[in-house]
Amino acid sequence: MGVSCGKQGKLTITDDDVIEKSNLSRQFLFRDWNIGQAKSTVAASAAALINPHLRIEALQNRVGSQTENVFDDTFWENLTAVVNALDNVNARLYVDQRCLYFQKPLLESGTLGAKCNTQMVIPHLTENYGASRDPPEKQAPMCTVHSFPHNIDHCLTWARSEFEGLVEKTPAEVNAYLSNPVEYINAMNKAGDAQSRDTLEHVLECLEKEKCDTFQDCITWARLRFEDYFADRVKQLIFTFPEEASTSTGAPFWSAPKRFPHPLQFSVVDPSHLNFVMAASILRAETFGISVPEWVKHPKTMAEAVGKVIVPEFQPREDVKIETDEKATTLSSASVDDAAVINELIRKLEQCRKKLPPGFRMMPIQFEKDDDTNYHMDLIAGLANMRARNYSIPEVDKLKAKFIAGRIIPAIATSTAMATGLVCLELYKVLDGGHKVEDYRNTFANLALPLFSMAEPVPPKVIKHQDLSWTVWDRWILKNNPTLKELLQWLKYKGLDAYSISHGSCLLYNSMFPRHRDRMDRKVVDLVREVAKVELPAYRHHFDVVVACEDDEGNDVDIPPVSIYFS
Amino acid sequence: MNGEELTEQETALYDRQIRVWGADAQRRLSKSHILVYGMKGTIAEFCKNIVLAGVGSLTLVDDRDVSEEALSANFLIPPDESVCRGKTLAELCCDSLREFNPMVRVSVEKGDLASLGAEFFDKFDVVVISCCSLATKKLINEKCRKLSKRVSFYTVDCRDCCGEIFVDLQKYNYAKKKTDGTAECELQYPSFQEAISVPWKSLRPKVSKLYFAMRVIERFEEAEKRKPREISIEDLPAVLKLKKELCEEQSLNESHIPDTLLERLVMGAKEFPPVCAIIGGTLGQEVIKAISSKGDPLKNFFFFDATDGKGMIEDISNPNLLS
Repeated sequence: MGVSCGKQGKLTITDDDVIEKSNLSRQFLFRDWNIGQAKSTVAASAAALINPHLRIEALQNRVGSQTENVFDDTFWENLTAVVNALDNVNARLYVDQRCLYFQKPLLESGTLGAKCNTQMVIPHLTENYGASRDPPEKQAPMCTVHSFPHNIDHCLTWARSEFEGLVEKTPAEVNAYLSNPVEYINAMNKAGDAQSRDTLEHVLECLEKEKCDTFQDCITWARLRFEDYFADRVKQLIFTFPEEASTSTGAPFWSAPKRFPHPLQFSVVDPSHLNFVMAASILRAETFGISVPEWVKHPKTMAEAVGKVIVPEFQPREDVKIETDEKATTLSSASVDDAAVINELIRKLEQCRKKLPPGFRMMPIQFEKDDDTNYHMDLIAGLANMRARNYSIPEVDKLKAKFIAGRIIPAIATSTAMATGLVCLELYKVLDGGHKVEDYRNTFANLALPLFSMAEPVPPKVIKHQDLSWTVWDRWILKNNPTLKELLQWLKYKGLDAYSISHGSCLLYNSMFPRHRDRMDRKVVDLVREVAKVELPAYRHHFDVVVACEDDEGNDVDIPPVSIYFS
Repeated sequence: MNGEELTEQETALYDRQIRVWGADAQRRLSKSHILVYGMKGTIAEFCKNIVLAGVGSLTLVDDRDVSEEALSANFLIPPDESVCRGKTLAELCCDSLREFNPMVRVSVEKGDLASLGAEFFDKFDVVVISCCSLATKKLINEKCRKLSKRVSFYTVDCRDCCGEIFVDLQKYNYAKKKTDGTAECELQYPSFQEAISVPWKSLRPKVSKLYFAMRVIERFEEAEKRKPREISIEDLPAVLKLKKELCEEQSLNESHIPDTLLERLVMGAKEFPPVCAIIGGTLGQEVIKAISSKGDPLKNFFFFDATDGKGMIEDISNPNLLS
């Protein structure tokens, strides 16, 4: 197309990700030998080969509030348009806010398998991206995931969470404690809550009762995890809520969608049981830096080793509390003596620490879904499927488990090409300039059906006052470093009586306070610096104030934010 | 690509798309053989898509030399003149396409497509032709239909900022997805000749104007013995005259074929890269669906016009004409 190929043109691309194998099936600027390299730099080089006139800069920053020193005011102001190629809603909302603020066209799109959609956000012509949102995806309540799953998604959510806790979070907590014991203990004491108590219990377990020194220790740990998750906990659950149990209203407790679970009986002859123990022990060993012997991968020798583990009898208890409230958002149940328990835990921890070899650390593992040799998906699928078995929920294969647990988005080259083509057609219109909203198109296509539908973008909501009107796009701009008096005058001309002006959460002026009249001849920027005590970064040329106004009849009017330029 | 199972390499590479169409469909793709004629921008996009998807083999036919026009919308052609010298369009595209996916066998076949015999076409599961005259389209379509095995046939043409795809899957059986499982479905497609013979008057009132406009241009180029796209603004009066004649012949109101649309098509030798991507993406998915027997195929014409942004599917077939 020749975009950004002229002397004054520039295309800036940014992405903090690196290339992986599965990208190659549609990200055709990349080759096999680029795996591991930064996406943006490789894309830039490849594009320049297709058209050597392209003027392109490749960055590796995420776009967000953290990188506003990179993507500063000057950067945004110099843009002609912004094209999104994002994979999450939050990033899209951020870019939308920036484009809204700097009044830049935003060409938004997305794909999901064979489906694609494009949305045009044009300053003053269309509503912004954030104006209409899909309802948030419903997440299963905590107690469902923890005690009452009824589909494989619940099991996988639980599995992913357990996985992260066991191999990543707890080892990381252990290390945090060992690296700075005094600080860590102080923080725990200060928090003094149920969550801290739980964390400390896990850390202590790792360093005391469940510490692993040999691979056999890891096998023991894994076998006992199996017993705890898929036998003991279920036995406890059905002890607390027997099959004939009823709720406080007299209805059966175990009515749909709840599924009545049954405990699993471990058997070395069952490959799925054995595989679970194998994956769990291998990863446990990794967190303790213990090497994995070759015989582990052979079922016969593995079965022998697992058989050696002594599994204690389990007795369900009367006093166990299991959360049934769907609205509960935390599992840690607070108790009166948390502080005392924490103190005791800390005492024991300190004793353990003294016995450890100097420099002892664990090795937290980060979930890597795409490496088929690392046993991560094996453990997650194992956790999920054994749990599914408890609740008589159909199990899934590793591929499907990876899809759900890995939150993978299916993607193909064809819908990607279609979305890109549709966006580029709109880009012609943006760059041409002067087009009406009717000329633009938002589209939705599903190549699987096939279905193609397009519509004109929706105009923004208009707010009116006297003969003025504005939308979410409007920012009233006042230049030349005005004084407070000048700002008030400027609003007076618009038939607006400003009675309160603030920057962020700080009040700069209010007509009620006589003292504020002394501020009339002060530059507003100085008020921001002195009264609001805000340090304006060097790259900032303006700041915004929110003004509360009344019209001539004393009615409140919601006006746009006012941007005051001081340099 | 021997054996029934996908290799580890294939599973890793094709992971994200296997999640869309399944491992079974991926296996079928890896065994498929595609023939493509006419290496313009839209075909370049189409080839890129199916090579990335992992078809078994792709054979390119186009003995033309590189031209300014080819460079403007075909991203497979390197901009370096020294690399292009002495190579045909097909050869240059072949070199680039191989890079996208080393697991796909991309090759070039030289010669005039129309003169190749049945044994040649028998090697393929899918035939896609572009930049062909009316006569060639009919000829290749017939050759495909005469084979004992079912070959999927497609034509694609982009002029100005619009495009047309024609699909002929002959007698096509597939498992149609329903809300509660699948149902065996059979579709009967007309040949190109049969489709364009459907009386214009019998088509639905709001049928895409582009259908008629393309037919007028096709007939004009044939009558004047032109090569496809060998047409310019000087020809417009003659084209408009032909349109009048055809409309009379078909008892169709002339307003169905706006002069402005014909003018655009006559002038539109150069392709627009975004339109190539849209048409090439649509065509790519159609071919993938036909090879994998998964998904509802398009029947039987697709039109896209960037001036109104509409993508339209038209079923132009006369039940009485189908054998």
